[in-house]
Amino acid sequence: MALAAGERLPDATLVEMTDDGPQLVELADRLTGRKVVVFGLPGAYTGPCSTIHLPSFIRTAEQFRGQGVDEIICISVNDPFVLKAWSEASGAAEAGISMLGDPDAVLTKALGMEFTAPPIGLYNRSNRYALLLEDGVIKVANVDEPATCKISVGEELLAAM
Amino acid sequence: MIEEGQRLPEATLLRVGPDGPERVSLAERLAGRRVILFAVPGAFTPTCDSAHMPSFVRTADAFRDKGVDEIICVSVNDAHVMRYWGETTGAAGAGITLLADADAAFTQALGLAYDNEAVGMLNRSRRFAMLIEDGVVTRFHLEQPGVCEVSTGEAMLADL
Repeated sequence: MALAAGERLPDATLVEMTDDGPQLVELADRLTGRKVVVFGLPGAYTGPCSTIHLPSFIRTAEQFRGQGVDEIICISVNDPFVLKAWSEASGAAEAGISMLGDPDAVLTKALGMEFTAPPIGLYNRSNRYALLLEDGVIKVANVDEPATCKISVGEELLAAM
Repeated sequence: MIEEGQRLPEATLLRVGPDGPERVSLAERLAGRRVILFAVPGAFTPTCDSAHMPSFVRTADAFRDKGVDEIICVSVNDAHVMRYWGETTGAAGAGITLLADADAAFTQALGLAYDNEAVGMLNRSRRFAMLIEDGVVTRFHLEQPGVCEVSTGEAMLADL
């Protein structure tokens, strides 16, 4: 599918770390009847993801909530253990950002966002995007060109709302 | 599955160097050397984090005293994750080399890959530890799923 306004996100089973360990999550359950920001990135602990992309949503989380956003979700092709560690180390957990793992990249592929870069050891990872969704339908889609981090940052999505 | 007496398959693994991720030829690290190689299901997973890795951090010096040239930890994670895990666990400080098997090719070549889809772990490595002498496996301690007993640093040391 194309990541564009008016499109509905496909359903997908993702994995989230909880107090009771990893739990499977139906993405649709988190989107139905709600206003949600979803952003995707190549990987926990990778350069621009840790230094630019995730911090931009930590900075802007309160502003999104001020605009009626119910949840901010970061999706990455990582396992829930890595995502939990990254969430705590980066401050995302404290900022109330949810981390959902797409370990088999099924959602990332369905969105047409996947890339593989063997020299740096990244397989079936996600290019960068940020979406505003209402009731599962895309209202704003800021999709970055591969290997860039410009319009998918928190401030740019806020400005486009 | 790999067995004692067999030569380890050639593999190209990854680590983060000064200029970003770089390839490491496993065969080059093993030739003419005595190496401990242990593998874990994943960086930051509870047993790996709380038991397996710490057991090698504790025993790293004892292995060196017994003539081990290098201690290598391999996991099906990317090199960035392995780098941070090495720092948070103290493994890097203890001189343990962390290498990423990002596409699981090495783990699959050993016949030791498994899936646990319910927790988002795909093509991960069963937990084991090996002594490798000049590229040949001379001790192989493979764990049953869910336990961390025979592959700890202390258990390997006792078998050297």
